[in-house]
Amino acid sequence: MNNSKINQLKDNAFKYFGIGCTLFGILVLGYFLVNIAIEGIARINWQFITSLPSRIPGKAGILPALIGTLWILGLTAVIAIPIGVGAGIYLEEYAKKNRLNNILEINITNLAGVPSIIYGLLGLEIFSRIMSMGGSLLAGASTLSLLILPIIIVATRESLKAVPKSLREASFALGATKWQTTWMQILPASSGGIVTGVILALSRAIGETAPLIVIGALAYVPFVPSSPTDEFTVMPIQIFNWISRPQKGFIINSAAAILVLLLVTFLMNGIAVYLRNRWQKKVKW
Amino acid sequence: MYKLRSENVNVHYGDFHAIKDVSLDVEKNSVTAFIGPSGCGKSTFLRLYNRMNDYIEGFKKTGKIYFDDVEIYDSKIHIEGLRKKIGMVFQKPNPFPKSIYENVVYGLRIQGMKNKKMLDEVVENSLKRVALWDEVKDDLKKSAFALSGGQQQRLCIARTLAVEPSVLLMDEPTSALDPISTAKLEELIYELKQNFTIIIVTHNMQQAARISDKTAFFYLGELVELNDTKEIFTNPKKERTQNYITGRFG
Amino acid sequence: MTHLETELQQLKSELLTMWGLVASQMSKSLEALVNNDKELASEVVITEKRINSFELKIDRDCENIIALYNPVAVDLRFVLAVMKINTNIERIGDIARSTAKFVVKSTSSYDQYILEKTRLLEIYEEACDLVEDSRESFEKENPDIARKIFMRDELLDEINKGAPKVIAEIIRDNPANIEQCLDILSTIRRLERSGDQCKNIAEEIIFYIEAKVLKHLPKSQKRNS
Repeated sequence: MNNSKINQLKDNAFKYFGIGCTLFGILVLGYFLVNIAIEGIARINWQFITSLPSRIPGKAGILPALIGTLWILGLTAVIAIPIGVGAGIYLEEYAKKNRLNNILEINITNLAGVPSIIYGLLGLEIFSRIMSMGGSLLAGASTLSLLILPIIIVATRESLKAVPKSLREASFALGATKWQTTWMQILPASSGGIVTGVILALSRAIGETAPLIVIGALAYVPFVPSSPTDEFTVMPIQIFNWISRPQKGFIINSAAAILVLLLVTFLMNGIAVYLRNRWQKKVKW
Repeated sequence: MYKLRSENVNVHYGDFHAIKDVSLDVEKNSVTAFIGPSGCGKSTFLRLYNRMNDYIEGFKKTGKIYFDDVEIYDSKIHIEGLRKKIGMVFQKPNPFPKSIYENVVYGLRIQGMKNKKMLDEVVENSLKRVALWDEVKDDLKKSAFALSGGQQQRLCIARTLAVEPSVLLMDEPTSALDPISTAKLEELIYELKQNFTIIIVTHNMQQAARISDKTAFFYLGELVELNDTKEIFTNPKKERTQNYITGRFG
Repeated sequence: MTHLETELQQLKSELLTMWGLVASQMSKSLEALVNNDKELASEVVITEKRINSFELKIDRDCENIIALYNPVAVDLRFVLAVMKINTNIERIGDIARSTAKFVVKSTSSYDQYILEKTRLLEIYEEACDLVEDSRESFEKENPDIARKIFMRDELLDEINKGAPKVIAEIIRDNPANIEQCLDILSTIRRLERSGDQCKNIAEEIIFYIEAKVLKHLPKSQKRNS
């Protein structure tokens, strides 16, 4: 066999290997989804979504958990986005490229890999105890903000980096200040990437259970939280709570709740992809 | 009358001595071409005039540069104001990812101008000046990227003209364009020189010969010769100049 | 119009101005000869300086256009043609001046009978016409006029060829005329050369317009090219 035939074989082999890996992932995920759907889809109805939890499986609902998740999402967004994007802009556009900032950059990237329970402990000490927020929504959102801050900062920096230097030069050459250039040119041009990063960070936050448990989110919440200082629970915790119960009814409830949670997650990711595609059409380098 | 003067200018990037003791005067409303092989310092020198080198790590300059007899590296100088009077066009057309209209008015918006009627007028005048108005007037909201390379470069010139500078710095403005767009742009430069002082850096010697009044030959950071273009291309005084323009090196 | 086109237009009108000047030098010197007008003749001599400076300027302008604009194709042929025609016209100017100098120096007016017998007036008038017509051919970019010049030059050759015999006869008849006759002979020779200059000019015009090189071809081929 000559070289080109060997190369062709290698090419095909890799192609099929790749297809295999992809299919494997999809099939496993598909199996899981189908299983859950069979278990839980019948359970999802208006009563399920609007009821408070109860000891009776048939009467239990996810309302507090769902509202809690939405609250956490909102508060975390409000806290983390300005700080994260702002820090990203400062580090990428304004900070001098010296050794100190290099070290900072490496450390921020490392922080994204720290286990989330560590953030939980941090949040417990600083927010719940020292700042006496207790097990409130505010404490939970602050803790999750810490968790996803590195992700947002890195996503912001990468998006800003992707904007070509020529754009900045053109703006400066017309007499714009650094802030004008950043606000009127760089941010709009990189907003697609920043928004995508933010949404992905938030969709990670939705699924976090451990840090919230550590700071004191409750497992049994018979009321709907109405202010940031209220105690709360979130969907993952509710699911965890139900799964540990022996009654079969609660297993079905868990499956239904998982489906709702997945729906919210897919929805958020879908928005991220849609926004990214729309922005990529506008901005072609 | 000299619009731009420089005296004994030296530029270092860290240890690298990029510009070696250059003194060069530019007359008002003329076209001066900077020619020389790659890395000879012509772009670096061009960027001294609007202080674009300030952003580069390790940039150090000695000597004086005067614009209308005002030293532009003085600490009291307002850099943004300087750049409104000295505009720049780059090698690769770099329109903003916005509409044609927004591209042209950007320079005015950052100065706070909001009056729509005035902005519309400026857009029309600027685009007419670069012979782009008729081609785009029906759809100014179109993205700048929908234009061809030559049109984009003319758009970049239009947005520079909109802030009404008196000097235009052009860093190899046609090197990314096809021959027809290049010819159109050269005619534009020829017309503009009645009202603007233009400095153009170019790799293309024939271009320098065609459109400039004076030519400056740079080599390894030094200004070897500055003279009327006619003289440089028929009877250069320095042998290095002659060797370069006859293609014997560089 | 592009920058280069403007320069070429300017070059053309410069050459045409110089050409007109030389054409008038020719007719003035003819008039001075016929009427023994010494004042007119000195005018012609002095005007020669202007023609020389024209020649220098046009040479320089051609050099600049080639150096700065790299003309190609018809533009290049045009500039090359102008450079050569420039020289040809300057020489014709010299011829007019030489004749005028003779008139200034001569002690008496020329004998009408001799002028007619030698056909000097004929050859002079035809030479003036050739200068005018070649100018028209260049200005209007008309190669047909240029082609006719080859044929018409034959007349000048004919008169020039027959001149020595006629002159010799006249001198034999009346030796007192010898100085005048020798003057007239050299004038006729010079005029024949001006015809050759016009022929060269015609060749250059056809080269520039049609890119055909007619130099050094036999006359028959030139006429029928």
